[in-house]
Amino acid sequence: MSVAQGLNGHGGEAMGDDVRALLAARAERLKARLLSKEDEATLMIAQFRVGEGQYAIPLADFRAAVPLRLVTPVPLSPPQVVGILRYQGQVISALSLASLLGIRGWRNDPTVLLVVEAAQGKLIGLDCEEVPKPCSLPLAAVEKARKEGSGPIVELFIPGSVPINLLDLAALFERGGWKRNGH
Amino acid sequence: MAIDAALLEIIVGFVPESTELCDKISRDLLQLEEKPGAPAPAPDVYKSLARGLHTLKGTSATLGLDDLSTIGHAMEDVVAPLHKLMKPIPSAIADELLRTLDGFQVRLRAHAEARSNELAEPAPIIERLRDVASGNASASGNANSSGNASASGNANSSGNASASGNASASGDSSTALAKAPEPTEAAVEPSGQDDQGSWRVKMRDVVALFREVERMREMRLRMAERRRLVNATLAAVTKLANIPETGTVYTQLVAISRALQVDGEEIGEVVDSLEQGIKTICTLPLRTIVEPLHRSVRDLCRNTGKEAVLSIVGGELSIDRRILERLKGPLVHLSRNAIDHGIEPPAVRTARGKHRSGALVIRVEQQGNMVFVEVADDGAGIDCDRIRQVAVERGLHSAQELARMTTAEVIRIIFEPGFSTRAQVSGTSGRGVGMDVVLNEVRALGGTVDVQSTFGQGTRFMLVLPADLGSCPILLVRCGEHQFGLPVVSVQGIVAARRERVRSSSDTLKLEYMEELLPMRDLGHLMGLREQEVPSDGQPVLIVQAQGRRAAVAVDEVIGDREQVVHPLPLELRSIASAYQGASIQGFGELLLVLRNDWVVLSAHDATTEVRSAKRRALVVDDSVTARAMHRAVLEAGGYTVHAVGSARGALEQLRHSAYDVIVCDVAMDEMDGVALTKELRGRPDTSTVPIMLVSMSDAENERARGMAAGADGFLSKKDCASGRLLAEITSVVSRKQGLSP
Repeated sequence: MSVAQGLNGHGGEAMGDDVRALLAARAERLKARLLSKEDEATLMIAQFRVGEGQYAIPLADFRAAVPLRLVTPVPLSPPQVVGILRYQGQVISALSLASLLGIRGWRNDPTVLLVVEAAQGKLIGLDCEEVPKPCSLPLAAVEKARKEGSGPIVELFIPGSVPINLLDLAALFERGGWKRNGH
Repeated sequence: MAIDAALLEIIVGFVPESTELCDKISRDLLQLEEKPGAPAPAPDVYKSLARGLHTLKGTSATLGLDDLSTIGHAMEDVVAPLHKLMKPIPSAIADELLRTLDGFQVRLRAHAEARSNELAEPAPIIERLRDVASGNASASGNANSSGNASASGNANSSGNASASGNASASGDSSTALAKAPEPTEAAVEPSGQDDQGSWRVKMRDVVALFREVERMREMRLRMAERRRLVNATLAAVTKLANIPETGTVYTQLVAISRALQVDGEEIGEVVDSLEQGIKTICTLPLRTIVEPLHRSVRDLCRNTGKEAVLSIVGGELSIDRRILERLKGPLVHLSRNAIDHGIEPPAVRTARGKHRSGALVIRVEQQGNMVFVEVADDGAGIDCDRIRQVAVERGLHSAQELARMTTAEVIRIIFEPGFSTRAQVSGTSGRGVGMDVVLNEVRALGGTVDVQSTFGQGTRFMLVLPADLGSCPILLVRCGEHQFGLPVVSVQGIVAARRERVRSSSDTLKLEYMEELLPMRDLGHLMGLREQEVPSDGQPVLIVQAQGRRAAVAVDEVIGDREQVVHPLPLELRSIASAYQGASIQGFGELLLVLRNDWVVLSAHDATTEVRSAKRRALVVDDSVTARAMHRAVLEAGGYTVHAVGSARGALEQLRHSAYDVIVCDVAMDEMDGVALTKELRGRPDTSTVPIMLVSMSDAENERARGMAAGADGFLSKKDCASGRLLAEITSVVSRKQGLSP
C-alpha cells in the first residue's frame, strides 16, 4: 500500500507500520531542520548563472522574473544598456549583467529579465540566462566575506558548493555612477 | 483667541486662497503704481483691486479673524480715494500696501497654525497705513492745486470721509468696522468666485486617475491593432477559402471590423474629454508663479537703485502643478540674480549705449512633453575672469584645472554650492546658495539647466523640464528596424526627396526647401544605426524645427501621428537624455522612443559628426536583443564601431547602404537563418569577401561544417563566447582574411 492510499483511502486504521515509520522519520527530519534554522541565520538569495560563473542577489532586492521580450533597444545608449521596457506602468531600463560585470561571454541567450530594486523605489531589469533559483546562504559566511572584500561583488566559498558571487546592487549601480541624484 | 477645530480647518483652506488673492492684488497694485510716462490707470484694474481687497476683508470677517478683517478694511480705506479719482497709486503707498499684504499672509498662517495668541495687535499696521494715506492726501492736494481744481475738491471730500471713518476705527475697531461706511461698495461687483463650490482633492489621487486615462488610451490603440488584425485575417480567409464578398461570414466580419472602428473612435473621444478634464485639475497657467515676480523685480530694483522691465512670454501655458510648485524657487532666484548681478545701474547702462532700463524676459514654451523656460537679461553678462579668480580664492578649483576648462565649464561654476562673486553677504546675494538651488530643483524635476552669456551683453538661462502629465501629438517614423517619435509641433513639413533638390559636397548634404538650403541628415545615421547616405528619390524627408532653426531629416517611412503620453527615460539613460524626450507606451505594451527635436536639429547642423570614423566597423546580426547588446559591448571594447540588426532581412538592407570590416551573425534566426544569409552574401560581389563569423547555440560538428561550407570564416558556440573567445576569434578571422586578400 502506498502512503497516499493509506492516508486517503482508509484513514489511520489502515495505516501500516512502514507508513508510520516513514512519517515519524519525516517529522524528525523536519524538526531537526527547524532547529538548525533557529541555530543558524541565513540570507535568502536568488541564484543564477552568468557566463561561466554563479551569481546571486539577496532575495530582498528581487522583485520579479519576467520573460525577456518587448524590450525596446535604445540607440546611442551605453553598451551595458539592452533597452527599455514597461514594468507595472513605469518605464525601466534593461541592463546586461554580463556587460556590467565585465564578463566577456555567455552560454545561452538570456531569456529572462530579473526586476530588482537597485535603490529605494528604483527598479532596474537585469538580463539573465535562466530563471534564478531561491537558495539560502549562511549569514555568518556572508558577513565574513563582506568584511574581507570590497566592491559590488562578494565572493563566497561554501564547503561542498560552487563559489557564488553575491552582488551588492546598490554598490554596483553606485559604481556605474547611477545614484538617484547622480548626473 | 481660541479657534475650534472645525473653523481651524476652514482657515487652513483659506491660506492658499488668500495667497492667490494677495498675488492678484499685488499685480493690480503694480499696474496702478505711479510711473513716469505711464498711461492713466485702467478702471478695470482698480475694480479688480477693490474686489480683491473686499474679498480678503469679507472672508477674514466671516472666519472671525477680526485683526485681518480690520487690516483689509484699512487697505480699502487707503485705496478708495485714489480709486474714486482714478489717480495712479504713489510708490510710497504701493510700498506700504504690498508690505501690509505680506504681513496679512504671515498673520493668516499664524492663525492657521493655531498660533493666534503669538500675534501682536494690528494697530501699528493700521497706523502706518493711515499715515501713508494722509501723506498722500496732502500730496494729492498739491497736485490738484496745480492741476485739476474740480478733481481736487472731490479728493478732499473723499479724503475727509475716509479719515473720519479711520478716526472712529482707531477707537474700537470692531465696532467701527460694523458701522464704517463702505466707500468702495458701489464699485465692487460680485465676483462670484466665492460662491462656486470646490473640493479639496489629493494630488496623488488625481494623478492616479490620470494613469487610468493613460491605460484607456493604450486600450484604444489595442483596439485599432485588433481591427487591423481582423481586416488582415478577413483578407487572408477570403483569398484562401474563396469566400464571396456577399457571403454571410464575410459581411459579419466586415460588420465586426466596422463596429470595432466605431467603438474605438468613441473610446478615443471619451479619453480625450477625460484627459482634458483631469488636465484642467492638474495644471495651472505658468503666470500664477511668474506674475508675482513683477513684485519681486520691482522691490529689488527699488532697493538697488536699478531699473528693469520684466516681460513674460507664454505665461498662459498650463503645466503640471507639481512642476510649478518646484519651479517657483528657481525662477525667483534667476530673476533676482539677473537684477542683482546682471542689470547695470541706469547711469552705467546709458554710458554703455543701452537703454537706462534693463530688460528681463521670461519665455515659456512647450514642445511635445518638454517645457522650455528661458530667463534672459540684457545686463553685464557673466565675467569669466572674475569667476576664475573667485574659484581660486575660495579653493574651489586650482588655476591648472581652470586653465583646462572651456568657457562653458567655467560659467557652470556659478552652480557650485557656496560659489558667489560677491565679497559681502547682502540681503539679496553673496551666500552662494541661489544657483545651487536652481540646479538642484531642476534636476529633481528630471530637467536640465543651460547657461549662455556674452560679457557686456547679457545672460540667458535655459531650463528644460519634462512634463509627463498629459499627452501630446507624436509623429511616428521608421528607420530600418527602429521606430521613433517626434513631437508633431516640431515638424513643419514632410517632403519627398528629389535628387535635383539635394546638394551634396564631400562631407555635407543640403536640401533645397522653400528657397532655403537646409542641412540634411539621415535619421538612421544620427541615431548611430547606419552610415550617412543620400536619400533616394521619393524617400520621405521631415522638415524639423527647434529654437528658430530648421533641418531636413530623411527617414525610411512616415507611419502616422498619434496622441501619446511621453514618460521620461530612466536615470540610467541620463547620458543620452539630450537626444530623447522619453518613451511612450504602445498598444501591446511595447515602447516607442520619442526624440527631442532640438537635438535632431542641432545634430543635423553639427558638421563635425560628418567626419567618418576611422574605426573598423562591425555588423551584428542576431534576433536576441541581449545578444546584440553583448556582442556590441565586446566589439566596442575591441575598438569597433558597431551597427546591429535583428534579422537577416535587416542585414541585407543594411548592407545595401554600408560596408563592414566584419559581420557577426547568429545561426538560429526566424525566416532566414545565419547559414542561409552567409550563402546569400557570398553570392553577392560586394559582400563575397567580407569576413563572416557565425555564432551558434550548438557546438555540434555538423553545425560548424554546415556554416563553414556556406562560406563563413569562423564559427563559435555560445559556450566559446562564454569563455571570452569572441573578440580573439574575430581579430584572428579579420587578420587572416586581410592577409589572404589581394
